[in-house]
Amino acid sequence: MTKKGALVIGGGVAGIQAALDLANADFQVYLVERSPTIGGRMAQLDKTFPTMDCAI
Amino acid sequence: MLDAGRHPNIKVLTYSEVAAVEGKAGDFRVTVKRKPRYVDVDKCTGCGICWEKCPKKVSSEFDHGTGLRKAIYIPFAQAVPKRPVIDRENCIYFEKGKCQVCKKFCLSDAILFEQKEDMETVNVGSIIVATGFEEYNPKILSCFGYSIYEDVVTGLEFERLLNASGPTGGHIRRPSDKKLPKTLAFIQCVGSRSNDNKGVPYCSYFCCMNAVKNSIMAKVHEPEIEKIYIFYHDLRAFGKGYEDLYLKAKADPSVVFYHGKPSKIIEDPITKDLWIAVENMDNGQVERIRVDLAILSSAAVPSAGTKELSQILGIELDQSGFFKVKEVNSPLESTKEGIYLCGCAGGLKDITDSVAFGSASALKVSSHLKGQKIKREPLKVEQIDTSGEPRIGVFVCHCGINIAGVVDVSAVEEYAKGLPDVVFVMKDLFVCSDGTQRLLQDKIKEHKLNRVVVAACTPRTHEPIFQETCQRAGLNPYLFEMANIRDQCSWVHASEPEEATSKAKDLTRMAVTKARRLQPLESREVEMNSKILVIGGGISGISAALDLSSQGYKVTLVEKEKSLGGRLASLGNLSFSTMSGKELLKKKLDELSLNKVKILTSTEVKKVDGFVGNFEVTLETKDDKKKSSKQKAGTIILAIGSDLFNPEGKYGYGKFPEVITNLEVEKLLQEKEFKIKDKKPEQAVFIQCVGSREKEGRKYCSRYCCQVAIKQAITLAENGIKVTVLYRDLRSFNPGAEEAYRKARGLGVLFLRYDEDNPPEVLGEDKLKMVKLSQPLLKTEVEIPADIVILSVGMVPREKDFVHLQELLKVPRGLDGFFMERHSKLGPVETNTEGIFICGCAQSPKLIPESIGQALGAAGKAAILASRDKIRLAPIVCQVVEPSLCRACGTCVKICEFHAPSLEEKDGIYIARINEALCKGCGTCAALCPTSAITAFHFTDEQIEEMVESCLLFE
Repeated sequence: MTKKGALVIGGGVAGIQAALDLANADFQVYLVERSPTIGGRMAQLDKTFPTMDCAI
Repeated sequence: MLDAGRHPNIKVLTYSEVAAVEGKAGDFRVTVKRKPRYVDVDKCTGCGICWEKCPKKVSSEFDHGTGLRKAIYIPFAQAVPKRPVIDRENCIYFEKGKCQVCKKFCLSDAILFEQKEDMETVNVGSIIVATGFEEYNPKILSCFGYSIYEDVVTGLEFERLLNASGPTGGHIRRPSDKKLPKTLAFIQCVGSRSNDNKGVPYCSYFCCMNAVKNSIMAKVHEPEIEKIYIFYHDLRAFGKGYEDLYLKAKADPSVVFYHGKPSKIIEDPITKDLWIAVENMDNGQVERIRVDLAILSSAAVPSAGTKELSQILGIELDQSGFFKVKEVNSPLESTKEGIYLCGCAGGLKDITDSVAFGSASALKVSSHLKGQKIKREPLKVEQIDTSGEPRIGVFVCHCGINIAGVVDVSAVEEYAKGLPDVVFVMKDLFVCSDGTQRLLQDKIKEHKLNRVVVAACTPRTHEPIFQETCQRAGLNPYLFEMANIRDQCSWVHASEPEEATSKAKDLTRMAVTKARRLQPLESREVEMNSKILVIGGGISGISAALDLSSQGYKVTLVEKEKSLGGRLASLGNLSFSTMSGKELLKKKLDELSLNKVKILTSTEVKKVDGFVGNFEVTLETKDDKKKSSKQKAGTIILAIGSDLFNPEGKYGYGKFPEVITNLEVEKLLQEKEFKIKDKKPEQAVFIQCVGSREKEGRKYCSRYCCQVAIKQAITLAENGIKVTVLYRDLRSFNPGAEEAYRKARGLGVLFLRYDEDNPPEVLGEDKLKMVKLSQPLLKTEVEIPADIVILSVGMVPREKDFVHLQELLKVPRGLDGFFMERHSKLGPVETNTEGIFICGCAQSPKLIPESIGQALGAAGKAAILASRDKIRLAPIVCQVVEPSLCRACGTCVKICEFHAPSLEEKDGIYIARINEALCKGCGTCAALCPTSAITAFHFTDEQIEEMVESCLLFE
């Protein structure tokens, strides 16, 4: 029987973090994103405050 | 992003939408609509020839219209997956039936014009909604001229102008004439905090800090910018490290923080200059200010489609149109069981909280997935033989303006080709992108590389990505070395490009020199104890313990005081909640009693031995007499909270009994009748920022106090008391706070701003009489009669406990005195000590829902570890590799702060031995060992000496 997974709707930073934590806990994750790529808003940013790290 | 894209347990369904959901918690059937990309993602290699050849140019959504893309496109260079999509609306073939240029040029036959929309059904136990926000369109506010004047842009549009992957390659150019703007204006609260139906009523949380950040970044990108205005109302810098960044921006004389909201922007049609009309709120003058480019810090609104998705999922929306949280103090739960909210979908947040809430929602979801774990076979790759001569591959990163804006990366590439043992060199726009990572794997195999050097940004964020790529190609990850030609080169030598290029060559040469001496290292496996120890029994500690225990983890909760609850036990009605602090605590304690949490009150942590997976903690319980006990745990959650600032001697506190703190008034408000010195007060004055935002010492904002003052002011005003709140910036940012602020003003609460250089004075003789305040706007001093003064005191670290636990747990503290997270974005609930997690006010001041969310994030991270039987530890450690050289001098034992070395006797001879599991690989012992008996792996004397020699080598 295939195992039940988790569905994450939205591939921005919050959704990616949730998906990664679930995957690292050995669950199957489906990450659904409406645009052609994951990354969300954060991928559009240049640097992030307050540490000025690269957003990607 | 890349991690998610290549994780074997994650199926990424991009260009897809949820079409239907059936079932209930534990068993949902979800239909996902997969829109046609018209590209076979399996065949496509992401080579880019199709979008290079496509003749149709379209405005790019990703760049918010500031740049162009093709009809077949990838949104940005680091997209995951790096596979293009054809935009049917704009494709010439779909429009006219002719063209197919992409298909003709595609080398892998991946273009599929006949691809149809597809439906896929998945069976899941639980759902996380993380649909984020989008930017409000300020076109409706015609006074700012957005979409009329070319040089009025939004915050996100400006973000693209700053970005190396953006349309201008990171050079700020104004849209009208492509010239460098010399003066910029950021206009805050565009659409936010609005009291008409054109905007939104709430505060958009992050725009103040975004403007602060971008004022600094603009000067970094373009030092020729002469002046930057930030027009603001209240400057809301409330998060950890935010006030520091604000002060940094403020210290630059060319950045002007202008207190006032512009009423109009008018363009000079010939010069394209923008004239801003604004009233200066500090002196009442109406001014006209000329700028070259205006940036509207636009509100954040729910993503398009939020309403439709709420109907599909059967969950409710709140009054602002975001997904509704079930109860403000259950910040992850939607109105339907089994569906959770994280990120901005359930209310606006910064990146740090979005990440923490992401981890927290993962923990919530796993409660619906009992017995659903999948076993994954470890990745099998043929290992590359590394015994022969070094064959080094060097990859130089361009990173747009970040590196290539200063360093001549082509010169570095050419230079690297001549270095010893280097057999392959290439440069790329973003070495970290998905496509280049695949290419890196191919190149390792193709050129039989057995050492890899990447000259790019910082190993702090990017080394793990490259190491994993090496591993995927069959190369031991410790045969990888990074040269930081950004932070240590292009960023710090921005004005000396030639010298920077020469230094980049030096750094690359040093990395190559070290790479030649690198040896493969194998990670060590240790047993994992599944027990979790939570230190601190306030709301954070209780929440973490409760959720972990309800999922079957063995949890011990340790509290120093006699009872659980911390400050929560003293709180009356909580903001935006139907519950009081006492009721919330009782609810949590009732739930706790149903679970098997081992609760130890009146107990302190005395000693911590061991390491991740194997901590041994000595506890001391003081009931009637002292009792010592030992507790084993695999992970520890640090949740000891904070103290409130003691205002003794400030504003008459201690002198007048009518001057009390906000916590003291909270207690009085819970009495039957509100009285101070047996009399109901008639005039109350709140003073904000007591012990917060100080010039020296506690510079940070305490985040909670504005909102609490508003809540208390409303209660007092409703009791018929005349209330005045003296504040510096009103920082009430969270959902519902702006509405509460408005309600308070409606009830007649007077909000008066004071300047940090002219603080209010509390006056009286034997009795409190009034508060005196200078009002520059009125050019006078006002005297406010008061029979009660409430000091909104800041949060401070609990010094004695912080020092004690910092020493025991080796968790560092920041300049503000609070415990430091591993990384504010990548690891907000982790610490530098593996296996120790952090949450609540011990990390920085927070509101209750934020503490709960972060606590669940920490709990989620601990649970991932606790659910394993074994864990792997990094192999970078120190070892006594030459026991014969050891003289048992004990230097290593004395110097190591992790207690890893010890002297052991064998056959009457003492020799140092280092416990690998405790060793952090810092190398101090190896450096100090007088006989070089100790070696720090990956940083051996030989490797470092040769790097130094290579550094001193002149061309």
